[in-house]
Amino acid sequence: MSASSVRLTVNGAPSPLAEVPHDERLLDSLRWRLGLKGTKEGCRTGNCGACTVLVDGASTLSCLTLTHEVEGAAVTTVEGVADDPVGARVRAAFADAGALQCGYCTPGFLVALTGLLREEGRAAPVEELLEELASNLCRCTGYSAIARAVKDARERLP
Amino acid sequence: MSAFELIVPATAEEAVAALRAAAGDGVAALAGGTDLLLDLEDGRVTARRVVSLRRLPWRTLDWNGPTLTIGSTLPLRRLELDPEVRAGFPGLYDAVRAVGGPALRHRATVGGNLGRSAPASDLVPVLLTLDAEVELIGAHGSRGVALDRFLVGSRRTTLAAGELIRAVRLPERRPSAYLWQRVRPSNDISQIAVATAYSPTRRTWHVAIGGVAPRPVLVPEAAGALGGGRPTDDAVRRAREAVRRHAPVTADKRGSEEYRRHLAGVLLDRAVATTLARFA
Ligand SMILES: Cc1cc2nc3c(=O)[nH]c(=O)nc-3n(C[C@H](O)[C@H](O)[C@H](O)COP(=O)(O)OP(=O)(O)OC[C@H]3O[C@@H](n4cnc5c(N)ncnc54)[C@H](O)[C@@H]3O)c2cc1C
Ligand code: FES
Ligand code: FES
Repeated sequence: MSASSVRLTVNGAPSPLAEVPHDERLLDSLRWRLGLKGTKEGCRTGNCGACTVLVDGASTLSCLTLTHEVEGAAVTTVEGVADDPVGARVRAAFADAGALQCGYCTPGFLVALTGLLREEGRAAPVEELLEELASNLCRCTGYSAIARAVKDARERLP
Repeated sequence: MSAFELIVPATAEEAVAALRAAAGDGVAALAGGTDLLLDLEDGRVTARRVVSLRRLPWRTLDWNGPTLTIGSTLPLRRLELDPEVRAGFPGLYDAVRAVGGPALRHRATVGGNLGRSAPASDLVPVLLTLDAEVELIGAHGSRGVALDRFLVGSRRTTLAAGELIRAVRLPERRPSAYLWQRVRPSNDISQIAVATAYSPTRRTWHVAIGGVAPRPVLVPEAAGALGGGRPTDDAVRRAREAVRRHAPVTADKRGSEEYRRHLAGVLLDRAVATTLARFA
């Protein structure tokens, strides 16, 4: 009764899911049903940003989203983010800046920044982008390299 | 086993009927879920049925002359990115930007914020200074209620069983500002926040304070001290004193009463200055 199928497109591929309990989080569907382990669970309470994915292009905390609530949507995880021209630039900027230590927060940063740059382009100044990324936490506190990568990714926009 | 059954009605009538049908067993409406899912998980709210509002046609933003009607399920991020909203209600823009990060605001809604009625809500103080009216829909039709009369305390409103918030109506554009103080700028709630707005048609100031229990409130003594029009330095000083004296500030784990009252005064000064800078 409280489980049913959900249609999603994940990283461009139709990904029908069967028997999804109504209370299942998108984070768990992606990791455990689809094996997309790039999306991380940091806090499960909306506080760390490690679970950020794009839902129809909009950055979304997958730990606070029911899978059923995004029925029919196109979901992009870190595994698919570089298929997008903006995402590819973001990934290259992070790699070039060495903007990671343990890397646990990195998928969330890549996806969140890709979402922001797609939404705002160069309209947002770097300071505003950094403020918006304040809800993505890096437990290793490697923020200066991340800030350099953000600035660089913005400059690389087409 | 799912902890609840999710129901996804296509119309407001069906949603109201679903809420009423399950009223005895524990039922909750789901908008963005950024409050509700955590409340369900931690047992602060119990519901065997959850009624999703996602198919309802309420993700809207409608202007009618000076009046703005915000559909209850419109994600906060859509409000924030709308240039007309930002220009007409700059204090609302400030407040929306204070709620979590963009990935939260893509799902969190105005209706959910009011439905949760948190003492530290960042939207409530501003909406109070804008004379927001909440439009409710239930089995017996629609009714409008002033936000000040809608809110009671934390997780408590005057919403009747089976009723939903359809929209929030702001009667006129107002120069306005919202300022908050937190221990940490992100991932924290506002320990004290002040909203100010000026009504050009009524020539009145409106002052509200947030981060106070049991809910954010208007501080009419401070608004009165500001008079009508551009306040003198002396009027601002009297308003600051009024906020410090009359705001229902108490000590909490984030600061002593004295410190929090001091903050309220400082934020009032800055909010008035910001609002004045936004006069047309
Ligand atoms: C990490 C994090 C940070 C946060 N930061 C802030 C912050 O800085 N400032 C702040 O103010 N809030 C903050 N919040 C709280 C929350 O995001 C907001 O209150 C948000 O606006 C809730 O909207 P929602 O659509 O997600 O509500 P939901 O969780 O869907 O619903 C909340 C409540 O309202 C009821 N409800 C929802 N819609 C309606 C409706 N149309 N009619 C009647 N009842 C309804 C629900 O039944 C539930 O009781 C934060 C939350 C998290 C997880
Ligand atoms: S796991 Fe979702 S925000 Fe931390
Ligand atoms: S690199 Fe380790 S959490 Fe950010």
